[in-house]
Amino acid sequence: MIDIPLALLFTSILGAVLAGFVCSTMGVFVVRMNLSSIGYCMSHAAFAGAAFGLMISVDSLISAMVFSFGVAFVLGPLSEKARLESNVVIGFLFSVMIALAFVFLNFIPGQAASGAALRILWGSIFSVGYNDLMFLLLLSFVLIFFIALFYKELLAVMFHRKLAESAGVNTKLFYFAVLFFTGFSVSLSLRLVGGLLVFALIINPTSTAYQFFYDFKKIMIFSPVIGIVSCLIGFWLSLITDFPIGASIVIVSAALFAFAIIISPKRRKWNGKQRKMGFKLNT
Amino acid sequence: MNVIDLQNVETIYEGESIPVIYNINLTVKAGEFLAIIGPNGAGKTTLLETINGILPYTAGRGFVLEKEIPIYKTAIRKEIGYVIQNFEIDPLAPFLSKDIVMSGRAGKIGMFRFVSKEDWEIVWYSMGLVGMIDFAHRPIGRLSGGEFQKILLARALAQKPKLLLLDEPFSNLDFSTRRQIEKLLNRIHEKQQMTIVIVSHDLSFIPSRCSRVIVLDQGKIIMDGEKEKILTSTMIDNIFHKKGVNQ
Repeated sequence: MIDIPLALLFTSILGAVLAGFVCSTMGVFVVRMNLSSIGYCMSHAAFAGAAFGLMISVDSLISAMVFSFGVAFVLGPLSEKARLESNVVIGFLFSVMIALAFVFLNFIPGQAASGAALRILWGSIFSVGYNDLMFLLLLSFVLIFFIALFYKELLAVMFHRKLAESAGVNTKLFYFAVLFFTGFSVSLSLRLVGGLLVFALIINPTSTAYQFFYDFKKIMIFSPVIGIVSCLIGFWLSLITDFPIGASIVIVSAALFAFAIIISPKRRKWNGKQRKMGFKLNT
Repeated sequence: MNVIDLQNVETIYEGESIPVIYNINLTVKAGEFLAIIGPNGAGKTTLLETINGILPYTAGRGFVLEKEIPIYKTAIRKEIGYVIQNFEIDPLAPFLSKDIVMSGRAGKIGMFRFVSKEDWEIVWYSMGLVGMIDFAHRPIGRLSGGEFQKILLARALAQKPKLLLLDEPFSNLDFSTRRQIEKLLNRIHEKQQMTIVIVSHDLSFIPSRCSRVIVLDQGKIIMDGEKEKILTSTMIDNIFHKKGVNQ
C-alpha cells in the first residue's frame, strides 16, 4: 500500500467523491438521451486539450476545458444543422480528437512532460490539486442548483424531446446545457480518472441505477451515490494494489453494473400472480 | 374567435424542395371538434406540427389563438395539448405515469418556477378524467397500449389547453380500447367545450361529437364539410379504396 500524506489523501478522496458525483449525475441525462458515445468524445477532446496544453506549456486543465467546450459547442449545432444523427457527429469528432491528441503528445518536449501526458491518459491520485477541487466543488453546486430548478423541464425532455417541445419547453436549451455540463464534468475529472476511462464514470453508475428504479427521481439520486461509491472503492483499490486510479474506478463501477444486471428486479419477469396482486417494483 | 387560421400555408421539410402540404386554407372556430382524415402520407401529421409550430411553414401565414405561429410559437404551444402518434416506449423506461402527466405542464408552469400543489391537483384531475388515477405510480413501460394512450391524453389535458391536437390516437389499439378513447374524447368535448382536432386514417373511428371533417390527400385539402356528407361521398370511397386504407 502506498504511504501518502494525510492532506494529499484528503484532497484525493474529496476529488474522487466530487468527480464521481459530477460524472454520474450527468450520466443520467447522457444515458437517457442515448448519447453514451458523447462520453468517449468529450473525454478524448479533453485529453487532446490536455495534451495540447502540455505541448504549449499551458495549464492542462484549462486547455482540456477549452477542447471539451469546443466539442460541446460544435456537437449540438452540427448534428442539428447537418441533419446528422448525434452519434455520427460524435464518431467523427471522436476520431479527430484522438488523432489530435496523439499529434500533440508527439510534440510534448521532455520526459517529465510525457509523464504528465500519460497521467492525463490514465489518471493519477496525486495530480488532483486545490484548484481542481474548487472547480469540482463549484460544478457540483451548480449542477445541484440546475437540476433542482429545472427538474420539470429536464424530466419532460428526457421522456420525449418532441413532446416536451410541443408543451412549450425550450428543448434545445436543455440539450445544449447537458452537452455543456458534460464537457465541464469530463474536463474536471480528467486528471483523476484519466482521459481513456472517464466516460465509464459517466455511463456505468447510471446504467447500474437504471437496473433498479422506474422513478427518474430515484435514478437522479442513486446514480451519483453509485458514482461516489465506485470512486471511493476504486481509490482504495488503487492505494492497496498500486493500480492506476482510473482503471480501479472503472473496474469497480463495471463490477457494480455487472452485479446489478444479475440481480436487477426490473429484468426479472413478473409472474401472473404478482401482476394480479398489483405488485410494484421499486416504484 | 378563430382558434386556428391558416392562409395558403405551405410546409417544406428542411433540405427538400417538394412541399409536404400546400395551399392550406383552414379556419377552426373555438369549441369545434374537427377530424382530419386522409391516407397515409397525405400530410396529416405535418399539418398538425405546422399548427403547433414544431415545423415552420415556408409560405402563407398561420395564426393560432390569433397569434402568428412563427413569432409566438412557444407561447402558442403552452395552450396546445398535443398527443403524438403512437410511439414505442422502452419497457424499462424510468418514468412513472404521474410524472409523465406532470411533464405536460412543464411549459405552462414556466422556467424558474417550481411545481406547486395546485399543479399536482390539475394532474390528479386530468388522470381522473381519463380514468387512470389508480395507475399514477405505475411505470409507463408497464402500461398497455390503451393505458399509455390515456396517460398521453391526460398529459395533454394537464396543460389545460385551449386546443387539443390528437395525431392518430386510435392507432395500434384494439377495438374496445378504441371505443373507450372515443367515448373519452366525446366526454372531454362535451364537458369542457374544448377545440379538438383529431387526425385519423381510419374512417370507422371518428368520434360521434366530431361535426366537421377535412380530407387531406397528397398535401392539400380536397374536401371540407359536415361529417355525414363527407363520409358518404363517393370521392372518399375512391381515395380510401385506391390507397387501401381501413374503412
